[in-house]
Amino acid sequence: MIAIVGVGETIPLRVSPKDVRALCLEASLAAIADAGLECVDIDGIITDAGIMPASVPADWMAAQLGASLNFSGNLSYGGAGIVAAPMLAEMAIRSGRAKAVLFYFGVDWGSRPGGPYAFHDAYPAKKLFEKPYGFSAQPAYFGLWARRYMHEYGLSEDDLAELAIAQRANALRHGGGQIKKPLDRETYFTSRRIADPLRVADCCLITDGAGAYVMTSAERARDLRKQPVFVHGVGFASVPVSGDDVFTQPAPLLLTPAAAVASRQARERAGVAIGDVDFTEIYDCFSISCLMQIEDLGFCAKGEGAAFIRERGITIDGDLPVNTHGGLLSYSYRLGIEHMVEAVRQLRGESGAAQVTNARIGLVGGFSPPDYGVAVLGR
Amino acid sequence: MADEFRPYFDALARGILAFPRCGDCGRFHWYPMKLCPFCHGAGIGWEAVSGVASLFSWTIVRHDFDPAAIERYGLRAPYIVALLEFADAPGVRLISNLVEADPDALAIGMAVQALFPAHDGRVLFRPARVG
Repeated sequence: MIAIVGVGETIPLRVSPKDVRALCLEASLAAIADAGLECVDIDGIITDAGIMPASVPADWMAAQLGASLNFSGNLSYGGAGIVAAPMLAEMAIRSGRAKAVLFYFGVDWGSRPGGPYAFHDAYPAKKLFEKPYGFSAQPAYFGLWARRYMHEYGLSEDDLAELAIAQRANALRHGGGQIKKPLDRETYFTSRRIADPLRVADCCLITDGAGAYVMTSAERARDLRKQPVFVHGVGFASVPVSGDDVFTQPAPLLLTPAAAVASRQARERAGVAIGDVDFTEIYDCFSISCLMQIEDLGFCAKGEGAAFIRERGITIDGDLPVNTHGGLLSYSYRLGIEHMVEAVRQLRGESGAAQVTNARIGLVGGFSPPDYGVAVLGR
Repeated sequence: MADEFRPYFDALARGILAFPRCGDCGRFHWYPMKLCPFCHGAGIGWEAVSGVASLFSWTIVRHDFDPAAIERYGLRAPYIVALLEFADAPGVRLISNLVEADPDALAIGMAVQALFPAHDGRVLFRPARVG
């Protein structure tokens, strides 16, 4: 078994004066220091497979840190790659290829022209068959899903509001997030519509920032500075659907691709039942996608997400705290690296006012369709 | 443009909406692939459809995300993006814009029809007229 022994992040900002390489470096140094390690102790580096290779490549990071790159790898772009990276680290560490592995990820979509929307030009069919109709931004994709979900399962705008409001409450309690304004029902319903039925408050923030974490063997972890957070199980799965097709073509369009399989894999490896999970950090790019993942990860049956949120409660004091830092909706949008950092802090008991009482098992979900990654972490 | 995408636009220019259908297994697929994704058959033909579709879902985009779409197509928010299904091409879901439509009268499952001629490689849809 491996453990996460160090975490670091930059302060999330809409626009940072630093470039994305500087941000990733700052987060990585913070994570290494948090672990009580030196840069030269790092002998493996993992990052995501899509965004970092073009902007902050691992060889640059190794050179800057003076770390040796005896092992490097990437599994998926964005969220799934961020959350499932411990699967690669575990292979490297167990086989003796590396002893201490750094994962880093950052974005400058707050300051970069085109922001997250430019990403979709990478898909040739989307460019030809969707962009000419103005279907080229993530809020439109998820607006379309939300509308269909309302039709199939009877979701209301009030249900979406409930989720967004709960996460804002978590963010304000945490205090470290990018957005400081409270959100109530009235402000939700007067907020601007972006892509019906989604409003501003249903959409994630846009952020310049980075985060990082350091992994080593469970054995070595016990001698390091901080209380280790053990990686009990990782799941990673995908469906054979291309990035071109994933928002429109899958026959069951309202299932988060591969989430159920990845969740089951991770929980089986961890020997953890869904009811044992004390809190969860879910890739909440939109209110609707967070609600769908609550279902697809196995916390409740399909179509019952809204009732689950209302009846069980997803704030820090709720029955299942979801996104204890406020998530991508209300903390920052760094594609889930903030979720890994937050889960580790919760399990160490470092989350201050946002601390979940007696948090022992956390489940992190990383969404980058058609891939999905799940990490079950514990103290 | 990749070879597998071209027949769609060639057909549109002739006033025909057509989708790829495998000559071996008979199934439609979308978006166009090099081989049939179901049986890997290489003999993919293009089959014309009537142009009548059903509204699978929609969204009204109210923010201008793409300056290029405004410049080239005059596509300024708000506009309706529709995801459409075709009874005569099962398995295909097409993205288009719905025009001449009352945003408050949209409903999942409603019938819409293609508007020809297509301009600049785009086929738009409007609510189907009854009778």
